[in-house]
Amino acid sequence: MKIIRLVMLCAALTMLSFAAQAQGKPAGKDAVLYFVWPQNGTTIKGGFWCRFGLRNMGVTHAGDNFQNSGHHHLLVDVNEPLNPNEPIASDKSHLHFGAGQTEARIELPPGKHTLQLVLGDADHYPFNPPLVSDKITITIK
Amino acid sequence: MAEIRNIKSGKLGGEPPRESMPRRLAAIVAGDIAGYSRLMQIDEEGTHGRVKRIERDLIEPSILEHHGKLVKTTGDGFLAIFDSPVEAVRCGIVIQQNMVGRNASLPKHHWIEYRIGVNLGDVIIEADDIYGDGVNIATRLEGIADPGEVYISGGIYEQIKHKLVCGYESLGDRKVKNITDPVRVYRVLPDAAAYGRTRKRRETVLISLLSLTLLIIAGGVLWYLLGQPSTRVADRASAPASSQTGSSQTQPNPAATQAAPSSQTAPPAAPATQQAAPNVQPVPPAAPTAPQALPKQQPAVPQQPAEPKAGVASAPVSPGTPGAQASAVREPEMLPLRGGTFAMGSNDEASEKPVHQVTIKPFAISKYPITVREWNECAAAKACTFTATGKDDAPITNVSWSDARQFVAWLAGATQKRYRLPSEAEWEYAARGGTQSKYWWGDQLQPGLANCKNCADAAGAEQPLKVGSFKPNPFGLYDMGGGVDQWVEDCWHKTYQGAPSDGSPWSAGDCSSHVIRSGSWKNDATYVRPANRDSYDTNVRYPTHGFRVALTP
Repeated sequence: MKIIRLVMLCAALTMLSFAAQAQGKPAGKDAVLYFVWPQNGTTIKGGFWCRFGLRNMGVTHAGDNFQNSGHHHLLVDVNEPLNPNEPIASDKSHLHFGAGQTEARIELPPGKHTLQLVLGDADHYPFNPPLVSDKITITIK
Repeated sequence: MAEIRNIKSGKLGGEPPRESMPRRLAAIVAGDIAGYSRLMQIDEEGTHGRVKRIERDLIEPSILEHHGKLVKTTGDGFLAIFDSPVEAVRCGIVIQQNMVGRNASLPKHHWIEYRIGVNLGDVIIEADDIYGDGVNIATRLEGIADPGEVYISGGIYEQIKHKLVCGYESLGDRKVKNITDPVRVYRVLPDAAAYGRTRKRRETVLISLLSLTLLIIAGGVLWYLLGQPSTRVADRASAPASSQTGSSQTQPNPAATQAAPSSQTAPPAAPATQQAAPNVQPVPPAAPTAPQALPKQQPAVPQQPAEPKAGVASAPVSPGTPGAQASAVREPEMLPLRGGTFAMGSNDEASEKPVHQVTIKPFAISKYPITVREWNECAAAKACTFTATGKDDAPITNVSWSDARQFVAWLAGATQKRYRLPSEAEWEYAARGGTQSKYWWGDQLQPGLANCKNCADAAGAEQPLKVGSFKPNPFGLYDMGGGVDQWVEDCWHKTYQGAPSDGSPWSAGDCSSHVIRSGSWKNDATYVRPANRDSYDTNVRYPTHGFRVALTP
């Protein structure tokens, strides 16, 4: 009886891990996600155009399931770690660019802020391993 | 390939074989630097060095990366061919976008800006150059392109229009030098926002022309009115709805200004709307100057006409709209709301300012968000594009604004009733349920009143709870805050500056994103506030986004 239970548990756990793995699509080989502008440590007055750079992969609409492509998400002042098994959150600090935008007008209150890009797949899941940019810090005057 | 050669040689009979001159169809990319001579004049060696560096670090690798072949570089330009038009245009965009970054740190007169033209054509390929009509057209396109832009020909456009996520602005047929037929030219706009900007520019011109005309008319009317003794007031008062837009600010007589609810807090005129009579709360006239000091309003409480009682919802069970119609469609349960005036917005977030008065006409709104069952009826009728999985009474999720619009269009057609998405103002009016507090139950967060992150037991769940799992608000509406994000009709605006005050949807402006309300089960408690607002791309689906419907009676 115990053995059966154990086997069931094992099976359930494997299934679970499979389910978790199922979403994470591999990112393109040598793909690099980076900020064209602003650079780390920049001091900016007022609003600015944030430009997203992506090398060795393509930008497409959210929902389009093309090989080797994704869409940008900009994380502003986000400290909690990214959960690779959930869609990238959508709120005021997780900005989505599902229409294939490669730049955005950003307005932030004065002070220090961190910015980080995360590439999402057609269903807004991060890639596996997650394709993220360096987290940069900027200062708004 | 071999067969084609055979046919060709057969046709040409005795001519010597022409294998040495291979032809092929290719996407030709021509680029050159705008104002190269000027740059050379300013700083000859520096410019030369920079150009060579750009060619080495950017242009050559970009072309290789996109599976193209660099044919040659000239002093200030380059010529490349690609097998794929998509790759060719992508390469052009990449070069242009990288140049933006490279120029960002330099003063404007030192900028190196490329003009790029892309054409599809049959070319003759030789070891170190290419020839043909197609090449000439590509260089002409490059010649008419603005610095920093990519211009493409009609042939390229036809190939890539559905494949490359960009905006394309048609510049019409252009006659180019030494080419007989005019060439259709398109400008590539690397992202949709840029496309919106150019359209906006055109709209601005149109709107300013229109407003100029209106001003002239208004001026004429004013002149006419001032010239006349004020005996016409009665006439004007009898047609308030039409006169309020054009000339309310020019009315010389205060008696006639009653039709503009935005500037005065006086109750809206009876003839203007079908307002119910009890909506006459006295409001101090000083209120509009200090929006944050707005007194607590008491919007008319919507009930079934028979129930005159306000306060705790007694959960009116009968569906608002009688399903008397024989139509097979099961309609969402609707709750009619009486109109009223309320203070929309809050001072908690920049996007919710300024607090402003809005007058809502009577309308009905669905008691719950639209469910999977209701959505799938639309899908079964082939009017909605996908069939949802999940429990029947769970709210529908992963819908874009356009999907939601498809649903209401189908519902309106199938029932012959004026179903639609609620406006943002209607949504907030309904969500507040007659209150002006932070949440509809008061200013403090209370557990178990909404489905949000860290405020219910079901936190972090993969799916939202079924609709109606929590208490309804004072109007008897469920899930107005938390649960699923809900699309409304309005386009996104960063603040309420310039928002309409008559409860209508605010559709002008940048409509590439629309407003979502309510916050979802994945957002924390601050998103549950009825004043909270956010936006999302119009055509993009997200797993927490749903909607509810409204009905014009």
